[in-house]
Amino acid sequence: MLTLAAALLLLGRAETYVFDQARQIVTDMTAPLLEIASRPVAAARRVVERTDEYAYVFDENERLRAENARLLAWKEAALKLESKLARYEALLNVQIDPTIKYVSGRVVSDNGGPFVDTVIVNVGRAAGAKSGDGVIDTDGLVGRIVATGEKASRILLLTDLNSRIPVVVEPAHYKAVLAGDNTDWPKLEYLTSLSSVSPGDRVVTSGDGGLLPPGIPVGLVIQTSDGFLRVQTFADRDRLDFVRILKYEFPTQVDRQDPPAALLGPPVEPKPVERVKPAATIPGAPKPATPALADAAPAPATPAKPARVVKKPETKPAPQPQVLPPDSAPSAATMQPVPDAEEQVPPPEEDVVPGTQDTPGTE
Amino acid sequence: MAKLESYTPTPGARAGRIVLTVLPFVMGLACVLLSFVPVGRIFGTAVMPAFGLMAIYYWAVVRPEMFPVYAAFLVGLLSDLLSGGPIGLWAFAYVLTYIIVLTQRFLAMNAPFSVFWFGFLLAAIFAGFVGWGAASLFYGAFLPIGPIAWHLFVTVALFPLFALIFGRIERRILPSG
Repeated sequence: MLTLAAALLLLGRAETYVFDQARQIVTDMTAPLLEIASRPVAAARRVVERTDEYAYVFDENERLRAENARLLAWKEAALKLESKLARYEALLNVQIDPTIKYVSGRVVSDNGGPFVDTVIVNVGRAAGAKSGDGVIDTDGLVGRIVATGEKASRILLLTDLNSRIPVVVEPAHYKAVLAGDNTDWPKLEYLTSLSSVSPGDRVVTSGDGGLLPPGIPVGLVIQTSDGFLRVQTFADRDRLDFVRILKYEFPTQVDRQDPPAALLGPPVEPKPVERVKPAATIPGAPKPATPALADAAPAPATPAKPARVVKKPETKPAPQPQVLPPDSAPSAATMQPVPDAEEQVPPPEEDVVPGTQDTPGTE
Repeated sequence: MAKLESYTPTPGARAGRIVLTVLPFVMGLACVLLSFVPVGRIFGTAVMPAFGLMAIYYWAVVRPEMFPVYAAFLVGLLSDLLSGGPIGLWAFAYVLTYIIVLTQRFLAMNAPFSVFWFGFLLAAIFAGFVGWGAASLFYGAFLPIGPIAWHLFVTVALFPLFALIFGRIERRILPSG
């Protein structure tokens, strides 16, 4: 038996496919049992948390009021920045990631002992999960899927020895690799400039490699006593419960981004009526206020308007405040092509309207 | 497993006898499953004790004829398959620990519980050291000691509770050996 166990250990190093299949079969078989067993555990945890919350409900209420007041100010700033960003993205013809879909599941197992940091989630191939998908919870990135069965999948947590995630340290925007080493705080490796990164900086995914979408919050930089820069992850691996599996596809074919018609300026003043050819003349009928769209001039000057804004965005604000006032700009979601320009500019695709992409977990 | 008697009165009684015979092994498997139920998250920790090791030690000392070496191997193998770590790691550590415990079981067999518990502490340290060494060799790096030390501490601390449960089951259900 001892020899067999040692042989398995050596074979597992060389031949992984058979063992991975065996592992997945066992995981699929035991996942329903673990799910049933984890339900009372989840209920007990909720009771404990609820009891804890009752003890501090007054303080928590005060804290939330203060936070809410602070966040309302942030919300105003965020809305303004959102519309401004959508405008700049449109002007610069930025290719925006398509909407990210996700599927939710529940963690049904513990993290698997002292040498590995993996958990089992009750979402498998049947629900659309696949190996490589990123996993987030309400706080940030949790890890990624490394094996999927029919009904269950295994998530490799950020703290596992085998976990490597390409990240970016903000605000300096230095790229690094977040490497787990079985401790609570994964290391930042391959960081080009150590001096430009300081404890407290925010770490988000970089999207390099195309497996994970960029911009998902990961954690904060900390410096440990051994001098390494490590990351305190936002997601708490000790309290994992419901998670989202991101069904992210690297956007290889993004539709062409045209500036929204709202940015193209006012319609060109129509030339008089000789170009209007009504199909039938009705005596006594009122004259149309605007010419028919099909007969309107093709407005060759319209692309020049956004270009002018790009050249001097600060010193010369957009000259068409009636279309998009800088301060009371509509939110990006409401930026739809105006009807007059529909015939001249092809309407943007639904998925790539600036600002409508859904990046779950992004703060 | 223990050898069944050649004759039992009825098929039902014989089936019951089989169930009782494999009960320690089934309890070992159940202990492995239990160690993957996230009970620790109730208290805000992900550290779970090695319940499988408790079962192996208890039955290796008390009823080795009902818990042979391949039962220890299968308990370790299930642990490996569920954990996502190297396959054979805990199977190797548990089988080695089982063999060592089996050779020294006379020291803890009729001794007071404190000696029995101290024996488990030594067995847990041995299993943890073997597992840590094998995992470090497998990954080609020295793994941090902290997680395994904490894991073993929780395991040893909870052992009396499980020894009590195993003892009750042994005395009330299993036939006297």
